[in-house]
Amino acid sequence: MGYTDPSSSRDLLGNRTLFFIFICAFAVVTLLQQILYGRNYLKRYFEFYEGPLEYNSTKCLELRQDIIAVKVLSMVKQTELFDRWKSLQMCKWEMNVTEANLFKSTLSRCCNAPAFLFTTQKNTPLGTKLKYEVDTSGIFHINQEIFKMFPKDMPYHRSQFKKCAVVGNGGILKNSRCGREIDSADFVFRCNLPPISEKYITDVGVKTDVVTVNPSIITERFHKLEKWRKPFYDVLQVYENASVLLPAFYNTRNTDVSIRVKYVLDDFESQQAVYYFHPQYLINVSRYWLGLGVRAKRISTGLILVTAALELCEEVHLFGFWAFPMNPSGIFITHHYYDNVKPRPGFHAMPSEIFNFLHMHSKGILRVHTGTCSCC
Amino acid sequence: MAGLAWKWPRTRLPVGASALGVFVLCWLYVFPVYRLPDEKEIVQGVLLQQGRAWRRNHTALALFRKLLEECCDPGQLFAMTKQNSPMGKNLWFDGELLYSFTIDNATYSLFPQATPLQLPLRKCSVVGNGGILKRSGCGRQIDSADFVMRCNLPPLSREYSKDVGTKTQLVTANPSIIQKRFQNLLWSRKAFVDSVKVYNHSYIYMPAFSMKTGTGPSLRVYYTLQDFGAKQRVLFANPNFLRDIGKFWKSKGIHAKRLSTGLFLVSAALGLCEEVTIYGFWPFSVDLRGKFISHHYYDNVLPDSGFHAMPEEFLQLWFLHKSGVLRMQLEQCEDPLMQPAT
Repeated sequence: MGYTDPSSSRDLLGNRTLFFIFICAFAVVTLLQQILYGRNYLKRYFEFYEGPLEYNSTKCLELRQDIIAVKVLSMVKQTELFDRWKSLQMCKWEMNVTEANLFKSTLSRCCNAPAFLFTTQKNTPLGTKLKYEVDTSGIFHINQEIFKMFPKDMPYHRSQFKKCAVVGNGGILKNSRCGREIDSADFVFRCNLPPISEKYITDVGVKTDVVTVNPSIITERFHKLEKWRKPFYDVLQVYENASVLLPAFYNTRNTDVSIRVKYVLDDFESQQAVYYFHPQYLINVSRYWLGLGVRAKRISTGLILVTAALELCEEVHLFGFWAFPMNPSGIFITHHYYDNVKPRPGFHAMPSEIFNFLHMHSKGILRVHTGTCSCC
Repeated sequence: MAGLAWKWPRTRLPVGASALGVFVLCWLYVFPVYRLPDEKEIVQGVLLQQGRAWRRNHTALALFRKLLEECCDPGQLFAMTKQNSPMGKNLWFDGELLYSFTIDNATYSLFPQATPLQLPLRKCSVVGNGGILKRSGCGRQIDSADFVMRCNLPPLSREYSKDVGTKTQLVTANPSIIQKRFQNLLWSRKAFVDSVKVYNHSYIYMPAFSMKTGTGPSLRVYYTLQDFGAKQRVLFANPNFLRDIGKFWKSKGIHAKRLSTGLFLVSAALGLCEEVTIYGFWPFSVDLRGKFISHHYYDNVLPDSGFHAMPEEFLQLWFLHKSGVLRMQLEQCEDPLMQPAT
């Protein structure tokens, strides 16, 4: 007396069969994709590779044009852009002085970092009612105590440094071995208090001249500096004589925490300088980039630093600026070189910022490093 | 039963009220309201006693210490320790109405394992900040004690050392001072660390859990001193101890919103030390010779009235002095003529 499932013979398009078909279809599509993209790799493999091509060779001009032709990010598939970018790596990079000067002159008209990057005693006299960047109703009254914290004048002037490195924290830096090349720059910017311990030294280097600190880090990791302050001081000491740069007047929440940083360094008798972004500079920079298609609630610290570096340095090199989940060869990478904590979605428009950098790289305004370094 | 309404004799005042009045009058007759003697009377009383030599009364001391032990147990409960305040314990703030605080992991880790003092202490000096200390020349005598307690971060600079000494083992700090003088330690902290350097290896005793607003600054004092690797260590006052001491003195007739730090400290000292001498406890505007003196030995800033009941506290301490429990130093210790004129 065996029991047979009455529906067993009728389950022709039942759940299980559908599921199986679905999996098969998925597998076929994946396979096809592999073959399609594999062709590109094969093609490249057969091309005779004879070392880096000259900057002005026709091949390179073509490759650069390929990238510049992409006007907006959504015009091509991401993988297509990656492929074009990868091909361009064959070419040597040279600065295009005319393009660079043109770009720098538009920057000097809009933002003027050599005079307005930081709040100084010169551009923010005593009694100024400083407007915040986002809390437009908020006004900070510059009193004697705060005024004394500002530097007399901007410590840097236009095109002061020959070669600058702006180090982002992208996971692409991992195993890049770019440490030496970064350290060989005359001036190094770093973002958001990144770790530069022994473990990362070969990839990111140690030289730091300016390091930015996001007040949200201080709030989360250091209890707004209301409790212990030594741990924070110890972290800053790793950067030796680097100046600390804070967006104190970005919004009202940031101000107290940022000002406390100055007190901490003074209390521990540190030589490190503390500077605050001028809110008007931040407003101008984000307006400028909005014009170039970076639509975000807020532009990233990296973009601000690159903008400033373009005015302060002759040659700007970008390391670790790559905000995609995979590197140009399609291998998945972590979000930062030190962790894989994803940012709040919809806050920064990283891909479009990177896209702008790639454009600028192709035009010869700055150089974006995404591969491994072989320098020195 | 309306017809049986028995009427009270008609009077202007309701009977209940007049009965209450009579009752109150009787009560006042049986328990007369204690009238606080005024300043002049107290000074006179002190002067009468002045000629006689002070003798320690061991039975009175033992009795008083036993009373303290029963009510408050200063040896154990004096400060917050890991032993007497386990994690998760609910603490009621003693200076607030119905406000409690649960000891969490972060706070618990700030407490020492047990009371760090070597009990019992032998000879203690408790130094108040009264103006009577000025030109007293008591510095040497204060320093000769084994354990010196001071109130409210007093200045100990060179100019005062002859009168108040230099040694400190325990100094109390009121969160309100941290707030007023050091902006709650939210901004620069160096000034604070420098200002407590004079207290060398001492404990800073903070009533962290008395007032809501005091907790933050008190904990910040701990963080600050640890950050700078300072020699001073922070002890947090136990609100239960403070409340018990407050009740103890209330039962002895001190009517104040809150006891002064000095009296807390003297009570603790009586529980912790074998011999207690107190200096600078004199809340009046004239000294024993009728000369006007400043409120503190370092300034003349008068406190808010109606918060502390200083004369009542003084009378209690004076009573303890008379009965030989502690010694109160009011006259000059060394001849002022021996000191260089200022």
